[in-house]
Amino acid sequence: MSFAKAALTETVSRPQALAARQNADGGWSYVRGVSWTEPTVYAALALLSSGEPEPVRRAVQWLRAAQRPDGGWPPQPEVQQSTWVTALVAWLPPDLIGQEAHARAIRWIAASAGEESDAIFRVREWLLGQGALRAREAPGWPWVPGTAAWVAPTSVALLALRKELRRNPDARLENRITLGRRFLLERMCRGGGWNHGSNQALGYPTTPYPETTGLALLALRDVRAAEIDASLSLAQQYLRECRSADAWNWLRLGLLAHRRLDTTVLPAADLRLRTVPELALDCLTQAALQGHDEIFG
Amino acid sequence: MPAPVSIVRAPAYDQRLYETVRRLLAEHRLNVRGRTVVLKPNLVEFEPQSTINTHPLLVHAIYEAFRAMGAAEVRIAEGPGHRRNTLDLADAAGYFHTVPRFEETFVDLNLDDVTRVRLARQVSQIEKLYLPNTALRADLLVSIPKMKTHHWTGATLSMKNLFGLVPGGVYGWPKNMLHWAGINESIVDLHTAFPRQFAIVDGIVGMEGNGPIQGTAKYAGVLVAGRDVRAVDATCCRIMGIDPMKIAYLQPHTPADASLRAEDIRQLGETVAATATPFALIREFQGLRLASPA
Repeated sequence: MSFAKAALTETVSRPQALAARQNADGGWSYVRGVSWTEPTVYAALALLSSGEPEPVRRAVQWLRAAQRPDGGWPPQPEVQQSTWVTALVAWLPPDLIGQEAHARAIRWIAASAGEESDAIFRVREWLLGQGALRAREAPGWPWVPGTAAWVAPTSVALLALRKELRRNPDARLENRITLGRRFLLERMCRGGGWNHGSNQALGYPTTPYPETTGLALLALRDVRAAEIDASLSLAQQYLRECRSADAWNWLRLGLLAHRRLDTTVLPAADLRLRTVPELALDCLTQAALQGHDEIFG
Repeated sequence: MPAPVSIVRAPAYDQRLYETVRRLLAEHRLNVRGRTVVLKPNLVEFEPQSTINTHPLLVHAIYEAFRAMGAAEVRIAEGPGHRRNTLDLADAAGYFHTVPRFEETFVDLNLDDVTRVRLARQVSQIEKLYLPNTALRADLLVSIPKMKTHHWTGATLSMKNLFGLVPGGVYGWPKNMLHWAGINESIVDLHTAFPRQFAIVDGIVGMEGNGPIQGTAKYAGVLVAGRDVRAVDATCCRIMGIDPMKIAYLQPHTPADASLRAEDIRQLGETVAATATPFALIREFQGLRLASPA
């Protein structure tokens, strides 16, 4: 299968296509080249769900070697900093990635928060005349430490912590999840859906994106609220108008998480799987539709 | 003294652009024979009918011109800051339709192999930055922005366009660390990290008001180009009715930064006065208004 030209409507073995793209070092690139953490995690999860143990074993070997001394993971080994991808790795079962390695990742995630929620930062901004001193911000998660929280990394972190909470109930973890969910709900756009960050910029409302809407809905799986209904309706509309496989995947996963996925909606004939994450998430969605949910567990 | 800046009239996105661009580049005597050229347009959102993205016909005209000039390799590369699905974005913006074999030519800078670079001159709080190898290895980096206002910096032109070089695969979507390091300061540092640059600004139809996304289309009918990217941006500002002396990232940060006063920039082609087209500014930026275009 020619990777770049794979249409979502083609009936080919996607797990096999995914396995064929594994690099010699056990990881996956986004499209070609060196291995990165994000595509490697998605590919490992997808092949775990389809019962391909050997590529999963090699992927886990690559991931274990990439863990940094602080317990986090870098986007790729060349980058000397742990980032949001740590939470993606934590989606993997602890017995696969290693109990201790997984526990260190959870600690790293739990200790991470958007810079804007830091009390000292808020007081400093207030003293500099950058707005009123607000009550404590519900903390989300940043892409990179030392920066603000955003919808996508917050959603990924919430999914990791929720899986961990189910394995090991913990009041502090539960509280952190509650606050993270509040972060997402507070950033919902007027009328539903999520942009990648705030629901307004300089007083102008922002427009929701289909991919972040789907991902946020997935992260808010257990949440029942009127605002979720509006976002679910929007997600269903976006699904029918979808222009990218990335959005197609996240919308389906988000709607499936709330049991609102209309499986009769088909992708446009020219929608292409252009990257490893898109291919892997398509595999994961197919598996979830058959009852094998590797993201939620 | 800044290098010369060209202003040429370009009435529309049509076949005349190919000859216009060839003449424009010939004016600046760029030697790209046997070299690698990377074209960096501005791709932002899935809005093909809007003026958010650099027009694909202009990019293709520039691509063909550099090939005709003997460049060994010409790549089109971008790393959008808001949307991760870059190829879909490019498709929606018309690049697949307009540029033959686009996918073979294009590099998603967000997902490119990276090298850690220690900035030679640091104005922002960024000490080191992971940058995409495709851009670092270019013999000539050509910034091809849209002529737009910007709700944080006042204007987004050739220098601000370099934000798309910072890989989202490392820093996320958006590249928020640039904001935390100081937007204007980061623009300056990124510009310094790429010493071999050329700029061609798509000012045929730009964006005014609440740019760079939610503004409205503004016809200016020009291309503005030159090796001195600061001078190109200063010229664009004047055409837009913005005082470049009030744009923070254009201000000199070292004694080596040339003056951007109008009288210190050698304009080729049209004059600023003849092409001036004041762009509407949001209320917060009314203070950037230029007193007179010349």
